Amino acid sequence: MTDRRTSIVWGQLAAHAAGHGRQVSVVDVCEVAVRSAQLSGAWLAAARNGEPDFVMCVTDLVSEQLPELQLTLGEGPCHDVLAAAAPVLAGDLGDEEYSRRWPVFTPAARQLGAGAVFTFPLIVGAIRAGVLGLYRGSAGPLSDRQLGDLLILADVATVMLLGGADGHGENQDGAELDGQAPDLALHRAEIDQATGMLTVQLDVSAGEAFVRLRAYAYSQDRRLAEVAGDIVARRLRLRRDAGPDGGP
Amino acid sequence: MDTELLSDTFVDLADTMVADFDAIDFLHMLTDRSVRLLAASAAGVVLADPRGELRVAAASNEEAGLLELFQLQNDQGPCLECFRTGQPVTAADLTTPDQRWPRFAQAATQSGFRAVHALPMRLRDQVIGALNLFAAVPGPFGPADVRIGQALADVATIGLLQQRTVRRRETIAEQLQAALNSRVIIEQAKGKLAERLSVDMDRAFTMLRDYARNSNRLLTDVARDFVDGSTAEFPPPARRRPTG
Repeated sequence: MTDRRTSIVWGQLAAHAAGHGRQVSVVDVCEVAVRSAQLSGAWLAAARNGEPDFVMCVTDLVSEQLPELQLTLGEGPCHDVLAAAAPVLAGDLGDEEYSRRWPVFTPAARQLGAGAVFTFPLIVGAIRAGVLGLYRGSAGPLSDRQLGDLLILADVATVMLLGGADGHGENQDGAELDGQAPDLALHRAEIDQATGMLTVQLDVSAGEAFVRLRAYAYSQDRRLAEVAGDIVARRLRLRRDAGPDGGP
Repeated sequence: MDTELLSDTFVDLADTMVADFDAIDFLHMLTDRSVRLLAASAAGVVLADPRGELRVAAASNEEAGLLELFQLQNDQGPCLECFRTGQPVTAADLTTPDQRWPRFAQAATQSGFRAVHALPMRLRDQVIGALNLFAAVPGPFGPADVRIGQALADVATIGLLQQRTVRRRETIAEQLQAALNSRVIIEQAKGKLAERLSVDMDRAFTMLRDYARNSNRLLTDVARDFVDGSTAEFPPPARRRPTG
């Protein structure tokens, strides 16, 4: 089921980027997210040292001010979202739950014109890449379809930020893809297990292991899940200098 | 039916929920007990991801074969049917011809299962997942087993969603995503530990869980610290490496 929905969302991203004569980047993720979930604006911030404090793109003035506000105040959904490792879906900032939770941020955000703020962690398990934030002028929840699409867009952005989107691992700024849909397959146990195994085989962080796994699958023109399955079954080991060795 | 085991199970589950607890650890215990209480040889809890996918949150056996059986059911199978209808679904004999879900039936029988039962996890009008029971012998579930299985599925729902008051539909989505990400962290930690100590995934899971219990910490926290490399004292020294 996911594969089909992922293809549709990827198609929207690719068409949107092509319409602007560019390769798919995090800017497109923000713009497509706003359009497809009928929101007012979006921002995307990369996490450095655990805090999503490096804003990479914004779609309008309010979406520029919302993350700034949170950085200044030290409170708000951006701070909560990585700690909770789950989206924070504040569909109605007028709800007293939010004035209790973020007593300074909430009235300030409403004054900027935000009625709803939705934030998504850009994470894979223990790997933290950043935050995708969105707002709408009017209050109201996301539909299930909108929520599902935003989660898929967040997955795409996560892969971009980690720099392994197209498997090259060469985009130092992690901002672009080379036109090919990324093999997301983020939600299979073997991929997560293989990532953990590679942290030991390659003596790298989980984020780097994730990128190296994808890069290897891409270089061999194989499916990510298939390569991960081989690693978990101990038929394949990766070496520190990037090539595989013969296996045990 | 072992009534003593049954009462022990509900006492243990209730005990766990009194204090701060780890959702995935809790669901794992629940699948373990489901196997012991009901006529099942394996059990798993599958959750609905708004991305449009069913994902495994916990299984009584952490080996890849069983996890794969759940994955397969994103296309067909009793679990998907149960999730779509919100009703219990049974495939009482997977070996007969004319299977309703032929690919699933073939994979399940290859793994040694002959029957499967899926029980919905419901919160009000929303189906959030299903408890799946795999049996090594064919046959329908007895009425007592169905009632206890459904009670366990209901407890799984409560355990997953009780941590904050579920007032809004959005809160359910937030909590399910948190649980699913915990599951990913635990898989990453299993992989790292399995590689470091040359043990299998099931053993790696047990070691992580035992360590969490003995140090009175949440499983997800232990797993995250281990993946981040910030837990100095874990895992235990590599001399525990088993022979063979």
